[in-house]
Amino acid sequence: MDAIRITNLVKKYGQKLAVENLSLSVRAGTMFGFLGPNGSGKSTTIGCMTGLLDATSGAIELLGQRFNADNAAIKRRIGVMPETLGLFEPLYAHEFLAFVARMFGLDEATTRLRVTELLAALELTDTSKTLSEYSTGMRKRVAFAAAVIHSPEVLFLDEPFESIDPAGVSLMKQWLRRFTEQGRTVFITSHVLETVERVCQEVAIVTAPGKLVWQGDITALANDGAVVHNGQEFRALEPLFLHLTGERYTDLKWL
Amino acid sequence: MNSALIGELVRLRYKLLWAKTRSRNGRIALFLAGYLLLVMLVALLSTGGFGAAMLAVRSGKAEAIARGVLSVLFLEAVLAANILGFGMSAIFSETELRRYPLTAADRRTARHLTGILDPFWFLFLALELGLMVGLYVLGAGSFWFGLLGVLLLFAANYLLARVVGLFIDQLMQRKGGAAILLALIMILAFVPALAGPVIRENPAILSALLLRLQYTPPFGAAAAMIHADLAGARGLGITAAWILGLGALLVWLEKRPPQRQTTESVKIEWDSPFDRVGALFGPQMGPLVGHWLRFYGRNNRTRMLYLLALPLLTFVTFQMSERLGPYRYFIIALGTIPMATFLGTSRISVNQFGYVGGAFRRYFLLPIDPAATLRAASYAAVTIGASVLPIALLAFAILVPYGGDARILLMLLCSGVTGLFVLNGLGVWVTLFNPRKGNYNSNFGNDLSLGGNILLIGGMMLAMFLPRLLHKFQPALVSPESWWIWLPLPLLAVVFYRATLKSAGPIFVTRREKLLAIVEGRD
Repeated sequence: MDAIRITNLVKKYGQKLAVENLSLSVRAGTMFGFLGPNGSGKSTTIGCMTGLLDATSGAIELLGQRFNADNAAIKRRIGVMPETLGLFEPLYAHEFLAFVARMFGLDEATTRLRVTELLAALELTDTSKTLSEYSTGMRKRVAFAAAVIHSPEVLFLDEPFESIDPAGVSLMKQWLRRFTEQGRTVFITSHVLETVERVCQEVAIVTAPGKLVWQGDITALANDGAVVHNGQEFRALEPLFLHLTGERYTDLKWL
Repeated sequence: MNSALIGELVRLRYKLLWAKTRSRNGRIALFLAGYLLLVMLVALLSTGGFGAAMLAVRSGKAEAIARGVLSVLFLEAVLAANILGFGMSAIFSETELRRYPLTAADRRTARHLTGILDPFWFLFLALELGLMVGLYVLGAGSFWFGLLGVLLLFAANYLLARVVGLFIDQLMQRKGGAAILLALIMILAFVPALAGPVIRENPAILSALLLRLQYTPPFGAAAAMIHADLAGARGLGITAAWILGLGALLVWLEKRPPQRQTTESVKIEWDSPFDRVGALFGPQMGPLVGHWLRFYGRNNRTRMLYLLALPLLTFVTFQMSERLGPYRYFIIALGTIPMATFLGTSRISVNQFGYVGGAFRRYFLLPIDPAATLRAASYAAVTIGASVLPIALLAFAILVPYGGDARILLMLLCSGVTGLFVLNGLGVWVTLFNPRKGNYNSNFGNDLSLGGNILLIGGMMLAMFLPRLLHKFQPALVSPESWWIWLPLPLLAVVFYRATLKSAGPIFVTRREKLLAIVEGRD
């Protein structure tokens, strides 16, 4: 069963095309990497898939149901860590997490229990600071905790690993693996290709404006295997990514 | 000194100012600001600058009038810079400047140059130069002494404004800082009114006061404008001494940045009053209203305005009530009580999402009708505003001799409830159609949009003058005998408020991408 299915998604900002006719599907229980250069429409696509933005045309299905911004029943079953984190700066971490938990329908006792456990697990125990006083990495941990607190079936993580220390990344990867083992789905965007290579089973690569150029299984890469594209063999995600996106290193003589 | 890089930074400051005109809102704001500045400049130059000089010379009291004009300009500049935020917006903070290859002294120079080379300060410089040139042309002043006096006064004025701004920032970071500031503002507001009668009874106080004021920059500059002798040099010396003193004070204040009061560890509180009050709105809206109450409650400026609203408007009620007959306090209170319910929350009420930044996205990820957050934010503002009403009515009943008259209290209640719902309803429309990205933590400065300013300032003006106008042209409407006329008003206001929330919901959802771009600073 597909946890996510996008059909002919188009998103325009005025006349500017941000996503062009994107179609892709993600099987339930998969850790899926959604990759692309800066400005290729990854965050816009996630915005459309999570109700933040209205698609100009096309269809989005989540967990077998048609999704739009007003579909609260589906929103209750998904978790999102937005690119900008979406934290309410004047709040303390526990206040923010408790607010999100209550909005997702958790009762008082479950809310307190989960907030306490998440804060301890993610080492967010400094309760004297508001979110505005947290470091970037700590803020990211809070946003991650907010995305998982209601134990969603599909998790959208927009660049989750950047700015987090190795121990934090390791913990998150461990949680995400267990998450997918339970049949739940993780949709990740990231520029850290080594991490994506190790945690994701499948990957889609887009170029501006939100145009799908490749989708495929990359499990072979984690086992020292290779991915074959147009007869060419790629032993890591980075060369494949650079090949598909046309990204090139430019040499500057003065640097 | 790295003058080339400092020059680039000053140029960048103006490029950034100009960049604001690229958006439609920026062009409208620029046009209106330019128009207002021009009108103000023409009016002030004719009466405050050159015109004042002519008046000064013709009346034979050149120095006295120059002192008065310069003192008023000096104080106005300090107040406007700190209250309206003109010329003080730190585009280049110390942290930002540290990324460039500048020494500490260079950074300080760059920061203050970008601050002082602001159109706002040029306006004051033009007015002061107008006075100086006027005095010189009419033969009552010295050009070079006067010019030096104006330039020194200009520098002292900027330094004082910065010192006051930093002092306020540091005060607000301290525990109880808002209360101390409130007390200081109240003292400043009450002192002139209280001092008037005392000085009239004891004229000697005025002479003693004037003697001491000779040692202030405006009086020093006035002396330099009029006298090209030792007295003028003394005036210049006094102003220069102030510059040195203020400069040293500024450096000292800048070297001890605001220290937020933090504790080692705080016990997690699960049961907060915000959530308890929010719970009154039911299980669906409760957490959202509680969240918004916390957002309002944690805001320094909201807290300060909330505390300030009643004392300030009580003062206004007593000050403005002359020549209005036996019910004078009541007539004025018909306007001031509704404003008291709105003033505290006004800044956020007219720009509900302008202070949440990227967190605005979160509201659309929650499994709720997105418009519920618009309603919850407004309910929170109405709840906070409504809490002022019983206190205001009780204060009126105690302070005013006829305050216990049930008809009067009922009319004031009707007026307060009407104002509360109408102003908050209008605030929702401004939130939707004229939002602006603001800084939640800034304690001073005007960061409202044009619509927000129109609603707030227009509301204040209407509240101040409508009851007076009614008293003059339709006295029966503000007479306690006509108490029943006021009964339908709250009902109509509630109908307007409910209709606003109902129709604003779908608009909020369709405009969310536009709002997102504005509150995240991309528009």
